[in-house]
Amino acid sequence: MIIKNQEKLASVEIIQESFKAKHYICSVQIATAVFLAYHLDKPVLIEGPPGVGKTELAKTVAEILDLKCIRLQCYEGLDESKAIYEWKYGKQLLYTQVLKETLSDILEGAKGLSESVKKLHEFGDIFFSEDFLEPRPLLKALKDEQGCVLLIDEVDRSDHEFESLLLEMLSDFQLSIPEIGTIKAIENRKPLVFLTSNNTREISDALKRRCLHLYIPFPDATLERQIIQARVPEIAEKLRNQLVTFIQELRELDLKKLPAISETIDWARTLILLNSETLDADLVRQTLNVILKFQEDIEAVDAELQGITNKALKEN
Amino acid sequence: MDRTLVDFIKALRTAEVKVSPAETLDAMHAIDIVGFADRQFLKDSLSMVLSKNTEEKAAFNTCFDHFFTVEKFDSQLDDGSLDDASPDPMDGGEFDSSEQQSGQQGQGGSGGGGGGGMGEGRGEADTTEDTSLQPQSALGQLLLSGDKNELVISITEAGRAVEVNQIVVFTQKGLYTRKIMDHMGLRELQDEIGELQGQGGNAQINLAGRLKKARDLLRERVRDYVERQFFLHADATGKQLREELLRKVKLSNLEKRNFKEVQEIVFRMAKKLIAIHSKRRKTFRRGQLDVRKTLRHNMQYDGMFFDLRWKASRVDRPKVMAICDVSGSVSNYSRFLLMFLYSLAEILPKVRSFAFSSDLGEVTQLFEHSNLEDAIAKTLRDYGSGSTDYGQMFIDFKKNCMADVNNKTTIIILGDARNNYGDPKAEILREIYDKSKRIIWLNPEPRNSWTVGDAEMKKYAPCCHQVEVCNSLMHLERVVGNLLRSAG
Repeated sequence: MIIKNQEKLASVEIIQESFKAKHYICSVQIATAVFLAYHLDKPVLIEGPPGVGKTELAKTVAEILDLKCIRLQCYEGLDESKAIYEWKYGKQLLYTQVLKETLSDILEGAKGLSESVKKLHEFGDIFFSEDFLEPRPLLKALKDEQGCVLLIDEVDRSDHEFESLLLEMLSDFQLSIPEIGTIKAIENRKPLVFLTSNNTREISDALKRRCLHLYIPFPDATLERQIIQARVPEIAEKLRNQLVTFIQELRELDLKKLPAISETIDWARTLILLNSETLDADLVRQTLNVILKFQEDIEAVDAELQGITNKALKEN
Repeated sequence: MDRTLVDFIKALRTAEVKVSPAETLDAMHAIDIVGFADRQFLKDSLSMVLSKNTEEKAAFNTCFDHFFTVEKFDSQLDDGSLDDASPDPMDGGEFDSSEQQSGQQGQGGSGGGGGGGMGEGRGEADTTEDTSLQPQSALGQLLLSGDKNELVISITEAGRAVEVNQIVVFTQKGLYTRKIMDHMGLRELQDEIGELQGQGGNAQINLAGRLKKARDLLRERVRDYVERQFFLHADATGKQLREELLRKVKLSNLEKRNFKEVQEIVFRMAKKLIAIHSKRRKTFRRGQLDVRKTLRHNMQYDGMFFDLRWKASRVDRPKVMAICDVSGSVSNYSRFLLMFLYSLAEILPKVRSFAFSSDLGEVTQLFEHSNLEDAIAKTLRDYGSGSTDYGQMFIDFKKNCMADVNNKTTIIILGDARNNYGDPKAEILREIYDKSKRIIWLNPEPRNSWTVGDAEMKKYAPCCHQVEVCNSLMHLERVVGNLLRSAG
């Protein structure tokens, strides 16, 4: 596969560097996945808890390679007319109306029905040609001459039928349209495909088999510190360390929804807005709704707030 | 190399990572690109290609570490020989000092002193008698040459030749160790040692001593190697055999130590059922036109009706009520039935469970809010005592839950129907039968004892849609599978 800026995917280290330049701190596993996806021409299925940067990963890859990122958001009821292609019915109808006159000219002199039909056949299926085809994200991604990054977001939200629709695209980078035939990706311009899933249901084995599987867990403390540094550079080092320790402690608790990286970043920004320099129990209590999204979680943490805050303060 | 990969994948499969041939091919492509230089890189890459969910990833990690332990093996050998004060030919820094050391020990005449003494380099530098004599047998030369990589390779090759990956039970460990040693040429080595000792010269005895020592060291390494192979290949096979057995054994005969394993099996069975049934089926009512949908759909064709839509209805998930006898003899069955039902929460969202021995109590809340183990323990504690009274149970059920029973409810009753000669109250069951969609009675006892003694199955059976013997995991799986299949 040859795409522009491909030298940025030459090795795992270079990938990590390129990501860093775009303020996305990635672990070795993530970089390896991108490396393999490119060199093996394979889609990557990314799983992990919400908010760890699954969607962001695909977007960043597009940014690094300076390619278009075509995004297909999945939802229940998504079907081929929304994901692959649709016929432009209006245009077809309009054209038949306009061409009515011409048709009678063409058919002039034809004797009988069978002769007319024969004459019509000479013109082929003009109304079912690519001119009347409205490409949707998947088809668009295949036909992109520059190559592109295709992001199929939250696959687990779509129906089982849709998963099966994806299979042809993912294994052979081609789509079959009955009226036209098979459309293949331009040689050496196959799209880089990323699928994300929040694990609300198990993805079928058939789909998994065709993908590389990357699981992004919550980051460890060191990585999370780096991420905060890259994303919120204006935060003081001391506060950053306290913040990260606090969040890491929270993830140990039994909560309905654990705070993810996106929440940590939001919280860091909040604390900067409030001009705070260090964590304390009151401040945490006031801003807890930034990191915890359920009232029962907030209540559960409230009791242990002092303890966790002290721990975060002590360790840094 | 391909063969190593295939062996590795076989090991993965025994560790319950599902790897398809297509994925094997992918792995080969990945290896072509990644190479073997960076262990972590290789591991990450293979992990992405071969293991496709978090459990599989964990299994993959342990399997990878077990399988590719050649390096560790190597360094162990290093340590071993260093302990014996033998120089490593590659290790230039310590060469001189350790060589002297071993030389001194060798002259001191202590039998084990030069035991692991390896290295041709040493032979050149050292002019003492003992190294002027070189072993004749191939294995002896290999052992004393100090080339560990060569040694590891030759052990692995011998392992392959005797098909150590066919090992099934741990008693075969000794057998395979010997087979590998034989294949590596143990006999020649033994002969040589014997011969050297027979000749009786100082140098000969010394060499024999060193060879002996090296041989014992080798035996240990080979045993380790076989042990690892056993874990990789046989442990899982043994496990499969055991699980096969556990599926068929009567649940009441299970011992406590097996519970954990059985629980795992139950989870796995549940997972399989979820995978099969998670897709919501639709049934099409043939010949009924869905006017609304047809109108809307054909709008795009300018209102011409040529693409007709038919009425379809989604198959509802079964609403299950489980009534479990938790008195002594039957409690084990109840435990696993409940475990099964609650492992299916994803596709059976509306399970209500009741436990009784005489009085009936609802335990749904308990199971929803605490983990399975605790919930089961609590249920057994709270309801497990007392003599069974099915009559009372039915009275309680009628009083409390009859209003919730409708034509979508499936009721599963698990019990031996031994009512201690009390009033069976079969007429209440009949009432429930008329109201509900299905009543399934699961009885752990064999059919021929259903009418013996105080068993009331004869009275209850006509009021049920289905009565089944259910006393092993296999039965349970079948019952639950049927339940899911015939829903709707």
